[in-house]
Amino acid sequence: MHTPHILQDFDQAISALRGEVISMAGKARHNLERAVHSLLERNAELANAVIADDDEVDEHERRIDQLGMQILVRFHPMATDLRLVISSMKISMNLERISDHATSIAKRARKMSDSPELQEITLIEPLYTLADHLLRDAISAYTDHNATLGAALHARDKELDRQHKEANATFSARLEQNKGRSEDYLHLILVTRSLERVGDLAVNIGEDSVFLEAARDLRHESNRELG
Amino acid sequence: MPDSAPAPRPDFIRVENFSFHYGGSQALFNIDMAIPERRVTALIGPSGCGKSTLLRNMNRMNDLIDGVRHEGDIRLNGASLYDPSVEVISLRKRVGMVFQKYNPFAKSIYENVVFSLRVAGRSRKKELDETVERSLKAAALWDEVKDRLHESAFGLSGGQQQRLCIARAIANQPEILLMDEPCAALDPLATLKIEQLITKLSETYTIVIVTHNMEQATRCSHRTAFLYMGRLIEYGETVQIFEKPSHPETEAYITGRFS
Repeated sequence: MHTPHILQDFDQAISALRGEVISMAGKARHNLERAVHSLLERNAELANAVIADDDEVDEHERRIDQLGMQILVRFHPMATDLRLVISSMKISMNLERISDHATSIAKRARKMSDSPELQEITLIEPLYTLADHLLRDAISAYTDHNATLGAALHARDKELDRQHKEANATFSARLEQNKGRSEDYLHLILVTRSLERVGDLAVNIGEDSVFLEAARDLRHESNRELG
Repeated sequence: MPDSAPAPRPDFIRVENFSFHYGGSQALFNIDMAIPERRVTALIGPSGCGKSTLLRNMNRMNDLIDGVRHEGDIRLNGASLYDPSVEVISLRKRVGMVFQKYNPFAKSIYENVVFSLRVAGRSRKKELDETVERSLKAAALWDEVKDRLHESAFGLSGGQQQRLCIARAIANQPEILLMDEPCAALDPLATLKIEQLITKLSETYTIVIVTHNMEQATRCSHRTAFLYMGRLIEYGETVQIFEKPSHPETEAYITGRFS
């Protein structure tokens, strides 16, 4: 809603909260991108940077909680404003977990960087692209108040789930066949699992964006489309 | 509420296409709403929107003002308030009123509660004593004043005086309690006591409350009506109104974006 509040401080607090979430989302997405690149490029230095930068995302989560609490205490938000505070705090929790998955991928990248390259590592890239697009659109659903985009993510996540299963089957088979590299294949299995979880968390953010814009709770509904 | 209690009637008070004029100035426009029995219904809206006018029409208090007229009807349990056979005094026994500024009479606590009984010529001590105890207990004031019933009502705190006014309003066992900003002159703790009392009283009485305090409406009402410039903009379950209002005007008002 573009009409300003009568209380200018309320507008400023809401704007600060939104800005903090958008900034956090950018950092979480950037961490995921760099973590996957550190894996594909066998770049331990980049992996270390991702691991170090996770603290910034954690700090964003703390600030968003503080700002949300302050808005609840000071302004007693209602309707759209109340939903913005609740959805922002929930989205920040999902973003923090996405950054944790990025950190986890970076740690595995660091461990794998000294071993010879595995050919099957190219299977990671399409999974990452799908997860990243889901995350990108989840963030857009929040920033642009686009409930339709947010509601569509659940269906789109099924393709990521399917590709995750395929990659998982391939890595599991290689793990059985190539005992000497079993640890690295196990790392890849867990990296694909992280990417699959990023897709789930992006779906959560999409659903939080639907709640923000349309006051609908799509979680656990069999038909997650906007009516 | 016991299982055997009849289900509350959803349209215990029915406002039907009701318009109201103060001389040449129209204050209410074609209001239609059904107020359920034994529930708290809050009327909210900016100053001058007509919420107090609507409330005061529910026991015909506006009749006292020169030059007023109305169209449409208000029905209590199916019967028109404006039927020529309705005696206004009898009506006000059925529909009690509590005002913004607590207004106990310059009498003892006891005499405040039994005032309307004495006016009606009822003076049997046993009945008066029972009424005082029942009313003060229902108003959550008995334990605080039972040992000083014959002291002046003015010796009570503001919150206690307002609860005394509620006790006075329910001494006649009305069906409906109208409350016009009953906590506006009270501190936050006294306000919470009144709100708790309103919730408790709604088990017995149908309550309509005018409030500027939206948190109060969310805390103690079941249904909320938003009025603006004499029109009923939106009326629904309180949770729905404050979580997801249907009308942009309601959203603007409750989120503080009203200009």
